[in-house]
Formats: sequence, structure tokens, C-alpha cells
Amino acid sequence: MAVGTAFTIDPDWAWERFTPTDDQPWGHSLASHLLRRGGFAPTAQQLEQAVKSGFESTLDGLTDVENTSQDYLDEIRTLTRAALASGSNKQLAAGWVYRMLTTPHPLLEKMTLFWHGHFATSATKVDDAELMLQQNELLRQHALGDFHVLLLEISRDPAMLIYLDSVTNRKSHPNENYAREIMELFSLGEGNYSETDIRELARCFTGWEIKRKRFRFNRFQHDTGKKTVLGKSGSFGGEDAVRIVSEQSSAPMFLCEKLVRFFVADDLKCTPELLQPLADRMQADDLQIAPTVKRILGSNLFFSESARARKVRSPVEFAIDLLRSLEGTTDTYMVAEAISDLGQGLYHPPSVKGWDGGRAWINSSTLLGRSNFVRRLVDHPKTRFGKQSLREYLDDRGVATIDDLLAFVQPILFAVPLNDSVRNQIESIRLNSLDRSANGFEDAIHLLCSLPEFQLS
Amino acid sequence: MTKKISRRRVLHSSAASVAALSLDQVVACPRTLCLGARNSKSDGKILVVVEMAGGNDGLNTVVPFNDDAYRKARPNLRIEKSSCLAINDDRGFHPALTGFASLLEQGKLSILHGIGYPDPNRSHFESMDIWHTCHRKDEPRPDGWIGRALQASRRESNDPPAIHLGSEQQPFALMSRELRVPSIQSLQQFQLRKNGSVDLSETIRELSAETTSDENELLGFIQSSTSSAIMTSERMEQTRKQKPSQSTYPKSNLGQKLQTVSQLIASDLETRVYYVRIDGFDTHANQPDAHTALLREVGDAVNAFVADISGQGNGDRVLVMCFSEFGRRVAENASDGTDHGTAAPVFFAGGRVRAGEVGDYPSLTDLEEGDLKHHTDFRSVYATVLQQWLECSSDSILDGSFPMLPFLDVG
Repeated sequence: MAVGTAFTIDPDWAWERFTPTDDQPWGHSLASHLLRRGGFAPTAQQLEQAVKSGFESTLDGLTDVENTSQDYLDEIRTLTRAALASGSNKQLAAGWVYRMLTTPHPLLEKMTLFWHGHFATSATKVDDAELMLQQNELLRQHALGDFHVLLLEISRDPAMLIYLDSVTNRKSHPNENYAREIMELFSLGEGNYSETDIRELARCFTGWEIKRKRFRFNRFQHDTGKKTVLGKSGSFGGEDAVRIVSEQSSAPMFLCEKLVRFFVADDLKCTPELLQPLADRMQADDLQIAPTVKRILGSNLFFSESARARKVRSPVEFAIDLLRSLEGTTDTYMVAEAISDLGQGLYHPPSVKGWDGGRAWINSSTLLGRSNFVRRLVDHPKTRFGKQSLREYLDDRGVATIDDLLAFVQPILFAVPLNDSVRNQIESIRLNSLDRSANGFEDAIHLLCSLPEFQLS
Repeated sequence: MTKKISRRRVLHSSAASVAALSLDQVVACPRTLCLGARNSKSDGKILVVVEMAGGNDGLNTVVPFNDDAYRKARPNLRIEKSSCLAINDDRGFHPALTGFASLLEQGKLSILHGIGYPDPNRSHFESMDIWHTCHRKDEPRPDGWIGRALQASRRESNDPPAIHLGSEQQPFALMSRELRVPSIQSLQQFQLRKNGSVDLSETIRELSAETTSDENELLGFIQSSTSSAIMTSERMEQTRKQKPSQSTYPKSNLGQKLQTVSQLIASDLETRVYYVRIDGFDTHANQPDAHTALLREVGDAVNAFVADISGQGNGDRVLVMCFSEFGRRVAENASDGTDHGTAAPVFFAGGRVRAGEVGDYPSLTDLEEGDLKHHTDFRSVYATVLQQWLECSSDSILDGSFPMLPFLDVG
């Protein structure tokens, strides 16, 4: 079996704005693709709305994350305070699940999750719920902002300072951990710096400390000598160092590759040639994140066959897509724990490299775990759909039979059309039990979400 | 009544799915042959890999306590001769490694010194990837050394060729183009929850065997992974019902994982490689306590595991390999820790190792940018394991010919 397809993608065409055509009309399929990838799976009503309002307007709505109602923010703040009072990381993770389930701006949460995986920091080591939450707020605040600012802020973020041992970075013995990762994993990629750059960069960060859970600069521990970093020389401090790093020409290319993998396709061959036009635009935008993301989500490539159904659902997407599309609410602790068991513990990325994603999500253990999670979810006493039972919810939407159910969930949840054998199997549910058992719909959802097709977005 | 029917259906379709899966991979295996293979007791050799992630400080693992250079480089972190568990007049184990000391005494531990590779990379991920794949970043590396070995010497079996125990993402070493390796956390996890309306296991398997995915490779990948998951689930269910082993394992995470490995081996799985990971060796700061706990966990768990396996009568079939992606810098840092280094020791345990040390202890005065120079390429270690233990030709797997090392006693 050949890996990847033989044809090459024209880089200029790839990043041009998509225009719906007769061959590829703006309908349920494309709208659902955009809403899922740029956020989470839509409800049936949201999908209808998107189809009606058109491509450009839907894209604008998705990427406009400015206006959040004060009531919602107040509610989140109250929840957060309760989570902090408990001091439990589990409650933090559950709180984030709640936010992802209820947010009016799914893209903002998705980008916050992206940066959490990018600037991966684990509560296992940081061991301070307040600092983890603070970092989460920081990531959300700059999630669609300016990368230069984000990189500087995260470099001074207390949780990050603890996670990468910067707090023990002394003049006499610079600690190289952060210096290495800021270049390797956060902005440039392996091969775009030397070991000497790491040692010199570490000297720039000496004296960056935390006092009373806040960043502070300890000039007594700062190495004021001359350093040479990435070809520039001077008696640089940490701020200078971060700027030198983020101004490297390899930065936009590195960031674009990660964003494209996150939004477009897992197995896409991201050659420098393909990414160049996108990276050039990001460079011209001085590393503004929002326009880059919008360019990706509105591109020809994003709506092409190379992108559609070409991403494995992450555990977060698996759970949140299912719940959001059916207006589900449930025990968010249970969801947070399940997501963690499936390999994506919120606030607990496996290493500073974050989650690899794609095929790495899938193995026997996680596949069985995904199926078992759906069963637990539909059976859970706290699980409601639009504040009703699943049957009542579906009833109100005119879903009375298994065929209706398939027609209802296919456009909102499935990137791959379900084939006839699936339909035949579902048929047997109808014959076996729908008439007798009250759980026919639950059983059908359980089966549908256990299928290979559902693992793709 | 329904139970009876569904059981028969499961049995039947289990064989069917093996055939379906095999078609995709090698040759279809007639049902009788599969069942026959299943009944014979497996007696092949087994490799258990313990990955010590983060970069283990080799100098404080096998301590050169008489070396002045060591004493100078480690004013705070050095371990005195009096605390070490003596190996000989010049070296001893870290005091927490009583497990390794006991294994050495029993003639079941081999220490390979100075293992590394040219032009060392000090990034955890890059160096780990190099160990896992034997390739550098600028070379194509779709698979890992174990995955390639398993694929090259593939046998017809109902059992997975390798099992990864752990919730972290699957080790690159196990990746191969065609074989899927399951990850599990415990035996219980492999029980699929029931569905009131359909036999879920059977239904999913049938629907996953559909080959509708010529144009979407990712879907094909998930379909074959799903088939494999269902098969493994049924196998684990059988193992789960067996009695747990008698040996006393430490309550540590690694201890529990190795106990599960032992249960799987005891259940006659034909699986040839088990992979477990213990993380935390990245001791940039406050190394002493952390390192002590980690080494104790490794030593105690491996010691209990080898004892258990020997008790089962499988002692000569099982080889344990403990490695890390790199050692640490010779000089300690100011945070009571050590930064990323290069060469480090690799350990093998089991009934068929040639006990003792292999290779010279690396020099602490002839350094490269403050780091130890390796004298033996890690691929020599692999070549020995591949040729003498897993019994496959190593050259193509390692993309080169590497000299064998004398740490196995396989007559």
C-alpha cells in the first residue's frame, strides 16, 4: 500500500480562499466539516443555520471570538473559584470540559487546547491548581492573538517556569531545559539552532524566578555578560532572547506546520513548498494567529479531499463532539476522566512535547475505551440531552425510528458516509429491540460511536 | 438461551476475522491451523523492554566511587563508596539498586557500559526517537526497530506480536507498517461493555472488516486497528480469568506493570515483546531523592519479575532490557541536578544473560564538551538481541552491520 497519494498539491491554490461551486456546493457536508474542525460538532439547528447563512458568514462567525456575554463569564468565574477552592486538578479538568461543552466560541477553546498541547505543561510536576489555571487563562487570552506576545508571556508563566526548571536557573549554572524547548518545541523546530545557542540562551534566562506565585526578575542571579544567540550578540536579557527566537524565519514555518496538522489532516505531507505561501503570509502578519487560522479554515486545501475525514478524533473531540451535537450535559468529572484514560488528560500532557495526535490516538486499548466510554455516558443518570432523555430529545426533533436517527446524526457527527452494512446492522437493532426496549436509541448511539467511521473527523 | 447463541457466534466469527485480517497481511490461515497453534504451549523467547525515560544518570547508577574526576565533578551529588553496593573495587550500584545487586549475585544481570551513538543529540525526543528507530531526524523513519523485527519474522498467531503496557502513547520502537500493537493498562480493560440490542463485539468486528476505504488510508488504518482490538479483547478475557501470580511485587507502577506482563506470559500468549516505560529520569533539579526512588522502583520491580518468571519455569525464555535515551552531563549543575548528557549503561536481566560487566567504564577525563564519549554503538546491543534472542537477521532491521556483544549465554 502506497503511503500518501501521488499527486502533488499546488501550494498557491492550497491556501487561496475556497469558493463553493456546483461540484462542491456549500451544504450540510461542508458546513459540518468547517464547524467540527474549527470547533466542535454542531447541533442540527446550528448546522441548518450555517447552511443558510453561507460559507463566508459562517467562517466569520466561527473566527469572531470577541463578544462573550458577561453572564457566561461570571458563571465560569464562579465555577473556577470553586475549582480553585478545592485545589483539585481533577476539578480543573472537569471545569474545562464544562467550558468546552458550553462555550459560544468553540474555536477559542480549540485553540486554547492547541496551545496547551504546544506549550505542554503538566500539573503532575507543577502541582499547583492555581498556577495551572492561570496558565490556561493566559493561553486562552492569547490563543488567537500575537505569537510574539504569547511566547514572551508563556516564557514568564509561573507554571511553565516550574515545569521546565527555569526557577533553578542560576548565574553560576544556567539550566538549559527551557532554552532548549523554547527553540525545539515552541517555535523553531529541531535543526534550526545549535547546542551553543542553547547554552547561550540559557544564560539570558538566568534570574527569571517566581515569588509568591508570580514571575519576578532577580538581577542578582542574572548573567549580565555578552551572549551570542542565533547569530546575534549583546548582553541580552530573557525578553531580548524570546524576541530573537520568535523573529527567526523558521518560526512561521514551524507554527504553520503544527496548525495545518491540527486543523487540516493528520497524514498530509507538509512539505516546506506546500507551507511556504501560508508561512509567508503569517510572517507578513507579524505572527498574528487569528488571520493564519482563518486562512487555513477558509482555504481550498481545507475543503479538499486531502482534508475531509482525514483527521482522527482526539479524545476531547470524541467526547465533546458527541455531547455538543446532541446538546448533551452530564457529569463533567466522568468525561474529564474518560478523556484522560483515552490518552488526553487535560492539564496532564504526557511530556513537554504534548500530544502527537493522529494515528497515535488509536490502539486496541483506546478503541475499546472509546466504546466503553460511550456506553457509560448514555447510561449515566446525569446524562441529559437538551435537558431531556435521549428519546424525548429525539422525539421533539421528529426522530422516531432508527432510520430517522441515522439521518439525524450522519450530517452532524460523521465525516464519512455510513455504508449499507452499517445500515443493515442498525436494522437489526430495530428488529431486536427498539419496539421492546427503552434503550434502543442509546444502543444505537453506542454502536455508531464504536465504529471506525466515527473515529474520523 | 441468547447467551448460548451469541457465544457460538463469537467463536465462529473469531476465526472468520482472523482470516479476514490475515488476508490483509500475509496469507489466510485455515481455521484448524489457528486452533492447533493455539493449543500448543508457546516456548519462544520473549523480550521485555523497560524504558527509563528522561535520561538516566549512569554515573550515579553504576558509581565509579574511586575516580577523582567523579568526585570533583559531583561535589554535592556524588555517592560515597561506603553507601554503594559493591560490584568490584572501583564501582558499585547506587544504594537503592538492591534489586540489581541481588540479580547480579544470582548471575542474572549484565551491565553494558558506554553505550551511545555518534554525534549525540541531547533532545529527549530526538534522542529517544533515534534509540527507537535507529534513524536520525533527516532520514525517513516510519517504523521502529522492534516493529521492523516483528514484521520481518512474522508468525501466524492469534496473539499480538507485542504488547505495550501503559497509558502513555505507544512507543515508536513498536511501530511498523503493517502490524498493530495494542496498548493496555490492565487486563480488565479489555472487556467490552455490553449493548442491549446487538452483540457489540461481533457487530463491530464485522463492520470493521469492510474494506470500503481504498481512497482513505486513515479509515483503513482504523478499521484494521478495530479488528485487532476486538481480537485482543477476547484473548485478554481468557487471561483475566486465570489466577494471579504468587511472587511479591512492589506496589510501584512499574512493579504492577511487570506483574501484568508476567500474567500474560503465564497465560501462554505467543507475544514476543512486552514494552513498559518508567518516566521521571530527567533530573535537572533536586536529583538525589528522585533518582533514589526511581532506581529503587526499577531494581525492585525487575528483581521480582525475574523471580516470578523463573518460578513459572519461564526463566530461560525471558530477557529484560533496561535503557535510557541518554546519560547525563558529568558535572552537576547548581540545582542539585544534572543536565542532558550522552553515553550511559544498558542493563539486561534474565536466566540467560552472561552476568557481569561488558565493556570499559567510560573515561571521566576524556570528555566531549563535558560529556562522556560512548565506545559502543547502541545498535550493537540491538544486533545482539535481534540475532541471538529474537532470532532474526539484524542487518536489514538496523540498516547496517554491527558487531555482537558478549552479554547473552545462548548455546
